[in-house]
Amino acid sequence: MILVKNGHVIDPVNGINEEMDLFIKNGRISSEFKINEKECEVIDAKGKLVVAGAIDIHAHIAARKINSGRAMRPEEFRRVRQKTGKFRAAVGRTLLTAPAIGYEYVKMGYTTAIEPATPSLYTLHTHEELDSIPIIDKAALPLFGNWHLVFKFIAENDIEKLASFISWVLEKMKGYGVKVVNPGGVEAWMYGSNAHSIDDLVPYYDVSVRDIITGLIKANEMLDLPHSIHIHCNNLGEPGNYETTVDTMKLANGIRNNRRQVLHVTHVQFNAFSGSGWKDMGSGTEEIIKLVNKSDNITIDMGQVIFGHATTMTADGPFQFDLHKLLKNKWINLDVELETGTGVVPLIYRPSSPVHSVMWAIALELGLLVNPDKNVISTDYPNGGPFDRYPYIMTLLLSRKYREKEMERAHKYLQRAANLPSIDIERTLEDIVKMTRSSPARILGMHNKGHLGEGADADVVVYDINPAEFNPDKYREIEKALSSALFTIKGGTVVVKNGKIAGDIWGRTMWVDATLRTTAEIIEPDLEEYFNYYTVNRENYGVEERWMRRAERIEVG
Amino acid sequence: MENVTCTFCGAVCDDLYFDGDEFRTKDFCPLGEAKFSRKKRIEYPTIDGKKVSYEEAVERAAEILHNSKRPLLFGWSSTVNEAIRLGVILAEKVRGIYDQCASVCHAPSVLAMIEEGIASGSLGQIKNRTDLAIFWGCNPVEAHPRHPTRYSVMARGLLTKGRADRKVVVVDVRKTVSALMASHFIQVKPGTDYLVFSAMRALMEGYEDAVPEEVGGVRKEKLIEFVEMIKSAKYITILFGLGIAHTRGHDRNVENVIKLVQLINRYTRCILQPMRGHFNVVGAGEVAAWECGFEWAVDFSRGYPRFAPSEFTGVEALLRKDCDAALIVASDPAAHFPRAAVEQLKRIPVIQIDPFPNMTTLLSKVVIPCAISGIEAEGTAYRMDGVPIRVKKVVESEYWSDEEILEKMLEKVLKLRED
Amino acid sequence: MLIIKPKIDFEVNVEAEITPDIATDLEYAKSFTVYYGKLEMSLAELFEVEKEGDSKVIVLEGDFSRVKWIGKGMLDGEIIVRGNAGANYGAFMKGGKIVIEGNADDWIGAEMEGGEIIVKGDAKNLIGCPYWGDLEGMKGGKIVIEGNAGNYIGEKMVSGEIEVRGKAGDFIGTEMKGGLITIHGDCGIVGGDMKAGEIRIGGIFELVPAFRETDDVFVGDVNVKGKGIVRVLTL
Ligand code: SF4
Ligand SMILES: [Zn+2]
Repeated sequence: MILVKNGHVIDPVNGINEEMDLFIKNGRISSEFKINEKECEVIDAKGKLVVAGAIDIHAHIAARKINSGRAMRPEEFRRVRQKTGKFRAAVGRTLLTAPAIGYEYVKMGYTTAIEPATPSLYTLHTHEELDSIPIIDKAALPLFGNWHLVFKFIAENDIEKLASFISWVLEKMKGYGVKVVNPGGVEAWMYGSNAHSIDDLVPYYDVSVRDIITGLIKANEMLDLPHSIHIHCNNLGEPGNYETTVDTMKLANGIRNNRRQVLHVTHVQFNAFSGSGWKDMGSGTEEIIKLVNKSDNITIDMGQVIFGHATTMTADGPFQFDLHKLLKNKWINLDVELETGTGVVPLIYRPSSPVHSVMWAIALELGLLVNPDKNVISTDYPNGGPFDRYPYIMTLLLSRKYREKEMERAHKYLQRAANLPSIDIERTLEDIVKMTRSSPARILGMHNKGHLGEGADADVVVYDINPAEFNPDKYREIEKALSSALFTIKGGTVVVKNGKIAGDIWGRTMWVDATLRTTAEIIEPDLEEYFNYYTVNRENYGVEERWMRRAERIEVG
Repeated sequence: MENVTCTFCGAVCDDLYFDGDEFRTKDFCPLGEAKFSRKKRIEYPTIDGKKVSYEEAVERAAEILHNSKRPLLFGWSSTVNEAIRLGVILAEKVRGIYDQCASVCHAPSVLAMIEEGIASGSLGQIKNRTDLAIFWGCNPVEAHPRHPTRYSVMARGLLTKGRADRKVVVVDVRKTVSALMASHFIQVKPGTDYLVFSAMRALMEGYEDAVPEEVGGVRKEKLIEFVEMIKSAKYITILFGLGIAHTRGHDRNVENVIKLVQLINRYTRCILQPMRGHFNVVGAGEVAAWECGFEWAVDFSRGYPRFAPSEFTGVEALLRKDCDAALIVASDPAAHFPRAAVEQLKRIPVIQIDPFPNMTTLLSKVVIPCAISGIEAEGTAYRMDGVPIRVKKVVESEYWSDEEILEKMLEKVLKLRED
Repeated sequence: MLIIKPKIDFEVNVEAEITPDIATDLEYAKSFTVYYGKLEMSLAELFEVEKEGDSKVIVLEGDFSRVKWIGKGMLDGEIIVRGNAGANYGAFMKGGKIVIEGNADDWIGAEMEGGEIIVKGDAKNLIGCPYWGDLEGMKGGKIVIEGNAGNYIGEKMVSGEIEVRGKAGDFIGTEMKGGLITIHGDCGIVGGDMKAGEIRIGGIFELVPAFRETDDVFVGDVNVKGKGIVRVLTL
């Protein structure tokens, strides 16, 4: 039992922004008020900020992709973050080892992270890696947007079959939700091409990108999964791509869910470029921001870039190849039979680059102008940069002064190609709590997370920030405080003290079981047929719960 | 039992039948069948040849590792990921070296990947799409006997329906049995693969004037024809083996074929597939990568991982007399390492974990028999293309699994560290 | 001047990242941290350390073939190795001089930026090369091998000079971007993906088949639109 006393609690879900005590019992927040302090570990949080554990909605923390990136980039692992001792050694610059990922997250007060792109054929690997990440809770989203069986069901216009298939896959793979990456485009890549608009057709199946996206939204809503579909739009990284993003968002028109959005558009920065080429590339956020703010069924995450080293890795095979050609950097590609592609290319974001500077600004425009209830902080780790720089992003959003200082470092081209210089807004601490806690929890449908109400997971963070005396001009102090939590409590265990790892526990891997809502029989003949084309036997395809360290099944039905 | 997974070669066939009571197999190739047959086992744990309990053997092993200055933990490619993970953690905690069989096998391919990445795919991409399969410096008929039927040459896929839809080229220094499956055979002189790749790249880009009339024993016209064949194919897979990775040029050969593949992708689609040997040699690299950042040749002496393939592989550490104890798991370095390296193994205390007696058993101080992964113990293995496949427990056994042994050993080591 | 001798037959290799900076202060030198397997020890625990005069010179006496990383990143002064040397000598070196009177192991002058290394005997592989994952090899200075050398010489070299008086192995100047490599004897494969710089060879060699022959030199590698020069040395 832990008692966090006198802290300044900010919990937007429960409308709290004031000094109060928090009582933790059996790994949950308790509302008991007769507490015997002698039986508790007491944390005095007087004058400190107390919030729920943060959630990273989109970070490539596990799976074949990041691991191939590791194998390709030994130069990434010369940075020593922690020597072996009571805890594991932790190394890595932007690519981290599994132990380092868990430790670095909790040091900043993050207690949950979502691996957003697992090819089903390789998902057992994804779970093995997730199982090696200490402390945090996690989940994985299987990739659907280029799966032949999805094309087939869309071509047949059979949403019921598609829904059955989704629930079959989530159960087989112990997946949490539906990820879509460059729908149709990755399959086109198998023919050396790509999809360039939502009206492009997929070779062989003759279905359009538009049909794939709408079909998946409808199937996802038919199942009413905790999370909506989670999309990486077509044309990522191309000047002028904001139009495709807007077209994609409009596909959600008229589809509704009372609890949450029906379309989550991820790392929007990479899909919010204006211009006709690299010479006139600029920020294309305006229309996107308007559309998101006025819709009640679309949410986004930022996809901030951080100046410095990064490693791009997506299921977007054709994009990764283009990037390899553009940068002449080393390139990993993995075409996955019948399901998807994958690519990895290292990159350095330089403030001296006009394009990189504009990308940096685009994400901040989104962060400052999109309603915090519909927006989440992300770097699309490690695409935009390392997740351990989230405090930097938060501080940029909080402090105009810090932004101006950083803008001086950036290329002056951003002054005319981006809107950021004219934005005065400073986000409040409560906004930041929304963009890192309550919004991702609601978007993902994780009701025990993102807040500190009765029964919530006891994921609690104490920062050395006094909201009563908050001064955004002291950005160095703010960034430092957000980087290194005074206390992080995960599921009722103190795991960080004064920015140092203090406890090592294993978190859970959450997965969604929607099989009660569907009948597998209707897709049986299709599965039978397509498993002729797999190189793994159907009986050996998938992940059993008992192979996982701490699986948590979330049943919908 | 149906759908049994074979744990011999990197093809990791998972469509097999095995009757564990009778030790009867169906559909296995001869190599796999040999693995799934009754063989002489190490009967019980020993220290200096004397029978001891598992507990005693594990305890002594832990002491040896704990007391040495830089123990070498080597092997791993023929056990499951669960055991490998514990092996990496054990190496970290005793501040030793983690190295695995890739270092005497496909490590050059991983080094090449550090330079250039790799454009690759799962094996189903050969089966479903590949209309031109090129086997270069590998002999699947003998090394991965079911590969051609299951995945590559004859496999019936979605878009490429079978052998008739697929051209097959074999490139090698001599006409192997695999060449008999091919529609075309190209013979190169030993040790010239690097040069041939450079010439093909130049020809592909139209720099014919820079290429001599003959490269690696192949006439220029023939190379031009080959390049044209590649350019006109839709989806090419190049499969390569130790004929590239372990002959003159090593990692640079692989790097050059990777560059060739990058270039081919500017014209059409192409992937590259290393023909990995042991059933879980990919796992031995992947698990280490997520646990410590590197796939092999990792030294933990300073309390954090460092990668140095010319210093900290099993062979190099032994040749340089840079390890003072060794734990050998599922491998037989005494039979396969260079003589000078084996001499050093004889000088230092060796702990062996293996189901079967081998040359290494003879020089080991502590011998710990284990359950056979994939027959008596289950776990995850990675096929040559990295696809994870569960290997199963199909026979009951009294032997401890690698995972159990290592778990106990790690516990003991942590205890010794505390004291 | 410091004179350093191993005290014992080492059980495992020693990593001693010493530079001539320690030569002027005996106490500091003696307490300098070296790594003996997992043990962190002081230099004096493993070596006899004597001081003669105040010059910035270190003399290594006895067998140093199992002592690694000598002269890592050194800026000035001199290191003289009386016998054989271990791996990584003069890596990241910026100035000063290392003389190895015996044979050298792998990674001599890796990623070196300045200064001079002379090996009187033979040297092994990876001379002046970049460590795995790095994009640039030798950036300056000079390495002379008076005997023979192994494989991989001057990979991704940007500037500076490498000279091998004897024979060398395969892969001379792979992905070279600048600088000069001279091999007086025979060697193997030369010039793969060379972008710029010059390679001079006195003996028999195998040029990558992607170079154009001009009047007196070869220019390539065409695969990277290279302007590298490979020249045959004539006496
Ligand atoms: S090809 Fe390899 S995996 Fe398949 S049965 Fe033969 S030995 Fe076993
Ligand atoms: Zn992503």
